[in-house]
Amino acid sequence: MVITGSAVLVDRGSAEDVIERLKQYPQVTYHVASDAGTELVVNLEADDFEDLERLCSRLKDEVCEIVDIAHIYVNFEDEIHKIRSGRVDKTRLKKPKFFDER
Amino acid sequence: MNMTRRDMIKLSAAAFAAGALNIPFSGRADAAGGDAVEVDRWIKGACRFCGTGCGVYVGVRDGKIAGIRGNPEALTNFGFLCVKGFKGYTSMYHPDRLKYPMIRDEKGAFKRVDWNGALDAVAAKFKELQQKHGKDAVAYYGSGQCMTEESYTFNKLWKGGFRSNMVEGNPRLCMASAVGGYVTTFGTDEPAGSYADIEKARTFFLCGSNMSECHPIIFRRIARQKLKEPDRINVIVCEPRMTSTARIADVWLPADPGTDLAVFHCMAREIIKNNWIDNYYIRNLCRFTTGKQVVDFNAYVEFLEQFTPESVEKITRCPAANIKEAARLFGSQGPTMSLWTMGLNQRTRGVWANNLVHNLHLITGNICKDGADSFSLTGQPNACGGVRETGTLCHLLPGTRPVADPKVRAQVEEAWNLAEGTIDPNPGFHTMKMFESLGGENDASKAIKGMLITTTNPAQSLPNTHKYIKGMKDAFLVVLDIFPTRTTQLADVILPAAFIYEKGGVYGCSERRSQLTGKCVEPPGEARPDLWIGARIAKRMGLEKLIPWNGDDAPKNYKMAWDDYRNCVKMTEHTLYGMTYERLGKLEAGLQWPCPDEKSPGTAQRYVRGKDPLMDMPEIVKVPPTAMIYFYADKQHEGKANVFLRPYVGAEEPPDKDYPFFLTTGRVIEQWHTGTMTMRVPEIARAQPNAYLEINPEDAEAYGIRNGDLVKLVSRRGFNVLPARVVKNSLPGILFVPWFDQNWARMINRVTIDAVDDGSKQPEFKICAARIERVGDPKDVADMTVISNVDAPFPQKIS
Repeated sequence: MVITGSAVLVDRGSAEDVIERLKQYPQVTYHVASDAGTELVVNLEADDFEDLERLCSRLKDEVCEIVDIAHIYVNFEDEIHKIRSGRVDKTRLKKPKFFDER
Repeated sequence: MNMTRRDMIKLSAAAFAAGALNIPFSGRADAAGGDAVEVDRWIKGACRFCGTGCGVYVGVRDGKIAGIRGNPEALTNFGFLCVKGFKGYTSMYHPDRLKYPMIRDEKGAFKRVDWNGALDAVAAKFKELQQKHGKDAVAYYGSGQCMTEESYTFNKLWKGGFRSNMVEGNPRLCMASAVGGYVTTFGTDEPAGSYADIEKARTFFLCGSNMSECHPIIFRRIARQKLKEPDRINVIVCEPRMTSTARIADVWLPADPGTDLAVFHCMAREIIKNNWIDNYYIRNLCRFTTGKQVVDFNAYVEFLEQFTPESVEKITRCPAANIKEAARLFGSQGPTMSLWTMGLNQRTRGVWANNLVHNLHLITGNICKDGADSFSLTGQPNACGGVRETGTLCHLLPGTRPVADPKVRAQVEEAWNLAEGTIDPNPGFHTMKMFESLGGENDASKAIKGMLITTTNPAQSLPNTHKYIKGMKDAFLVVLDIFPTRTTQLADVILPAAFIYEKGGVYGCSERRSQLTGKCVEPPGEARPDLWIGARIAKRMGLEKLIPWNGDDAPKNYKMAWDDYRNCVKMTEHTLYGMTYERLGKLEAGLQWPCPDEKSPGTAQRYVRGKDPLMDMPEIVKVPPTAMIYFYADKQHEGKANVFLRPYVGAEEPPDKDYPFFLTTGRVIEQWHTGTMTMRVPEIARAQPNAYLEINPEDAEAYGIRNGDLVKLVSRRGFNVLPARVVKNSLPGILFVPWFDQNWARMINRVTIDAVDDGSKQPEFKICAARIERVGDPKDVADMTVISNVDAPFPQKIS
């Protein structure tokens, strides 16, 4: 499980709409917005880093007011143990799909 | 309220993020308390990847790295990190790590040896080659990823110990034109301002840089400004591809590759015609010159007349109206900050392109003021600090000073306790000439017979690569690295190196800021720090007195080397004498030079009295007492910068009927350079598993190419076979291929051109002519190639 503390950068004036739409995503927990309403502090939760990247892509695709998502804190949890044990899971190196199938 | 461990982690993470963003966060976060990641300790350091210089904290648990986080106190990144910063370090635990020294045996296979055996063999062979073929027969080729102490040590060993200037590094391939630009315009290298100008600028001119992918943290700082005040902050992007950086642009200047010199001159013309100039700067701080002859401002105005918006549109395909608007924003909506990288540098006219951007800043007074600067971003984490500043190139000495200058040589000889006349006054060979001159002992046409390569992969990263493979194969090649690479495939000796967090040391980023990384963990197997390797070779070659930091205590060795370096450049414009290890260890954000003494807070803005301590240090530079802004490195001692009347010249190899496309190359956000580290991070490898050919839909249709089809990309030097990515990002007629892929079929530097800039000797990676043909239906090429086996043969037949 990966848990982040992230900044969601949004178009000016869109914060309220974006916060409302983020409620549809159970992996996203909204906390607070900047005074200018252009930065939202959120947690993102994902199975692993790849899943996190997918979630970010989805959010950017589906909520057009999101300009960027920046992670500031990442808790890797399970991944830590894997690294600590010196294991790198080569079996996870499965191949992605072709571009035109994405 | 009952709080689960998961809640605590979430609150802690959110509080950390809010803190980095300066957003007040509710008291609930306090309940989470402390770190959610369980580690024994967090150690301060810098990120291993691009030149931004992001501050990090590395979490260590039971002697292994267990996490990494951005440092919110770091003035480079304020706690933000990109995907490489967060995940790249995990590659250090990859099973492919090189752990033992190896020497190639008579049958061509690598055989494990102990360190004494490996270092004895290297030292003996280097000595033999130098005795047989002269002091310049053995070269050093380093990297903008080595620690500063390492580059300094190898530079000192070669220039002071071997008396040879055959010293180069991969910053020649990425930053040399920026150096040339700064030196020819201002008399000395590196920017006047800092990243801190980003938050004070009103207009940004981003040229030749896909910053959102290559410097994502800097891009984020600009994007935050733009989003906060979209009507007040202006962004101009000059770039042949509609990159993700251009998403926040108000004006896009889509000039064909290599034609932007005309755009910059045209902007200058518009700025002058509309009187958006700064007369004080023009009268007092600018010298107008053709490069051979000083002229007056009127001659410059007359010269610019040829660059009308309409005529420039014909040369560049960039709409005249866009150029006019860009000039208006640049000239009248300041302060203006320009940022660029390889798009300007990797060109046969790279120095000139840099000069012309500086021109715009000088005539509009957009430099040496808050928010106004002409700022070259560095591509590698320590190209500035490690190579440019330590002078680890063939023509330089520490302090980015020319080896040809007798005063500089005398000062360095004194600092190094060498007899007068020890350092060779003649520059060595620049990178491309060095590799062209590399070959076997029996080849009389090759002057260089041996080479030590560290932390870089020239067998993949040199342009027109295959031209240089045989030389590397035939010569006595010693390679220090952490993984097998295309270059280790050609090596005679492989020496396993330590990763940054296994040794520590100083990195200096784009804004003249040096940051110390603490040693976090031990290297695997018998891998050793580069510094130890260099010092032990020196000892074996009788140069222990010159390089005495050869003990087993890595941090102590690095500190000794750093102190030696600090002392060597103490009385130069690049002084960092006040940056002791003690200070760098304590300060969260490091320090920016000039930093002449231990009380100096460093310098965010050079050449300005009250901000730059050198303005009042006549023992280093002479500045008139009344001058508030003074370019003190001006070779004419007038305190002026040069505004150049450079003629328009296009690329070395523009498209023609046989090769009708521009090919340009670059990075993608996930991958780093030749992919030797990032391709070993599973998530990153999956995200960008192979190189591809980006092509405009119009061109794709004309050639019958659909998404995923295999396309043969051919230049006059070689070919690749790549899957097509049909997108509107590129203008018709422009192809793009990223360069991280190690797979032979997709190694794009087999196609690129090795023509170099006359001044900087930097190759034109960014532009060559190419043709394409569809060769097959979509095929799975997502093989995420890495060289895992040191004995895997090089794919090309080497005759």
